[in-house]
Amino acid sequence: MSELIQLGASRPKAPKPEDLKLQFSDTAVAELEALLTHYPDSKSGILPGLWIAQREYGGYLSPEAIAETAFRLGRSYAEVEGVATFYSMYNTAHKVGKHMIEVCTCLTCQVCGAYPVAEYLKKKLGVDFGGTTEDGMFTLHEVECLNACDRAPLIQVGDQYYGPVNEKSLDELLEKLAKQDESTVIQMADSIVQVHLASFEKPGGQPATKPKPAAPAPPAAPTSTRIRVEETS
Amino acid sequence: MAELKLLFEHAGNPAYQTIEGYIAKGGYQALDKALKMERQAIIDQIKASGLRGRGGAGFPTWIKWNGLPKEKTKRHHIVCNADEGEPGTFKDKQLMEETPFLLVEGMTLAGIACQGDAGYIYIRGEFIDAAKAMRKAIDEAYAAGFLGKNIRGSGIDFDLYIHLGAGSYECGEESALMSSIMGERGMPRLKFPHAPLPTIAGLWDEPTLINNVETFCCAPFIVNKGGEWYATMGASTKNSRGTKLFSVSGHVGKPGNYEIEFGTTLMELLEMSGGMTGGKLKACVPGGSSVPIMTAEMCDGAIIGYEEMMQAGSMVGSGGCMFLNDKTCIVQFIWRTAMFYAVESCGKCTPCREGTKWMLQILERIVKGNGQPGDKELLLDITSQIDGRSFCGLGDAAAWPVAGAIKVFPEEFDYYIANGKSIVGSPLPMVPA
Repeated sequence: MSELIQLGASRPKAPKPEDLKLQFSDTAVAELEALLTHYPDSKSGILPGLWIAQREYGGYLSPEAIAETAFRLGRSYAEVEGVATFYSMYNTAHKVGKHMIEVCTCLTCQVCGAYPVAEYLKKKLGVDFGGTTEDGMFTLHEVECLNACDRAPLIQVGDQYYGPVNEKSLDELLEKLAKQDESTVIQMADSIVQVHLASFEKPGGQPATKPKPAAPAPPAAPTSTRIRVEETS
Repeated sequence: MAELKLLFEHAGNPAYQTIEGYIAKGGYQALDKALKMERQAIIDQIKASGLRGRGGAGFPTWIKWNGLPKEKTKRHHIVCNADEGEPGTFKDKQLMEETPFLLVEGMTLAGIACQGDAGYIYIRGEFIDAAKAMRKAIDEAYAAGFLGKNIRGSGIDFDLYIHLGAGSYECGEESALMSSIMGERGMPRLKFPHAPLPTIAGLWDEPTLINNVETFCCAPFIVNKGGEWYATMGASTKNSRGTKLFSVSGHVGKPGNYEIEFGTTLMELLEMSGGMTGGKLKACVPGGSSVPIMTAEMCDGAIIGYEEMMQAGSMVGSGGCMFLNDKTCIVQFIWRTAMFYAVESCGKCTPCREGTKWMLQILERIVKGNGQPGDKELLLDITSQIDGRSFCGLGDAAAWPVAGAIKVFPEEFDYYIANGKSIVGSPLPMVPA
């Protein structure tokens, strides 16, 4: 738990603009363009843009990943980093393993035996919450309510919920995951990007029933001219 | 009273998740009807229905619908709050997965009534299955001409977008949710009367209607069958109409979502969900973790309705109903509740950011057996200083469960502080080893 509420672990510095190497694939660029048609300004593209970056950069939002997202949206590095570090599902604190095992220990799961489940996983994987196994296969996390309390105790791996879990079902799941080639962390980021896009918006998707909207302005130029009214509380 | 399935009538039927199946079961009749109605007439039906927001606050829905400017000068947005994060609640998840078209149609109706240009469904990042179901439904609705340009040949345009969160309970608060759609950290904004309502200046400072998933899902039934018909359900209660979904979890035989008419008792709900397991009923958190905990005596005879539950000493909230058996240690349960709010506080307002951490520290030392005399009073003092002193309800929601539990289970706290262990003989394993 201390891991979850630990205050500001120091973050690596932002790359210099001249060092920025763009890594988004053509598909990713097309996806980001389609996404930006949903909003009146490029700032609103930060959350979905970060999901694309998390997929493109292998499940970890490194300073380079954040810098590229900021560049493509025409936003500042600080702004995008500030957003990325706020949300728990963006992996900004440290590199994560191929699969993230997220154990819910909140209320219903707590009273239905989540802590013994967590202890079992810690012992089996040999790591504490926030830790990654030496082979880079699993990262163990404690999470707050996943809102499927009828299935308590519950865990999430990638885009799937598993519950109620017990030692046997966990053993089977870990064995299955260890054999799986694809990283569930990347798979989850991809699923999230895909649900944002309608079938007619997907690059190379079905013909549009809706006329394709005009492409947004090139990424380097900020597209928002709105003046942001700061709260003066 | 038994279950009364309105929203859930066809839940679990795979055909209902396709547009053909939805239409075959009477879907989109409300939309066709609404397209022939005056905009105000739709809002009047919502008013007649007595529908109140199902996200937790129970605010009358029609006031929001009626609050958007009638003379349109800016774009209007319709936002669905599908950031279901309240511990114990999982109704919106099932609604999106099994009755996605109800939400699409409900939001489209709001779009027609409030002259909306676009709708955004803000789904929490973890709910990928629900988001996939919504994506499929929206795609089918576009293809069939129920969304997009010129809906059903009416000349009305309405687009629907999905926007996923990325792990933040705070984003379930409406102003924080809008910040999150606008690409900011999910922090709340100053509220009415210090700032305009979202219906005047919401997303991108334009008029915005924001409702919960369940609230939007009620709209097709109200428009189709009439507000007065809807208001016949729950008529035995003071001011709660229609049906409500309750997510029952904890030590019960059949945890799951149950749709009941307002006026049903809490004990009937417990009976529906299979009764207690592992021991007798000790306590109940009837409306998600934010509401005060109830003792078994308080549950006895409690009627489900917004005002009725207040009278019984708790709240309907979001409908996340947790039943706890007599092996549960309330102090440890409240410690975990406090931890939830300490982790999820967004950090904007000092009373909440600091207060939730203090409460957690004190509860943690009690749970570890190091409680000090006066800790109970200290906790109460902190709760009184958080309650009502933050921008949004998270602070209040963090304070109420702690204050409520100390009020109704004082002996548990006294015993734990004095003896360094739980009053429950052999409690469930509820803390890390």
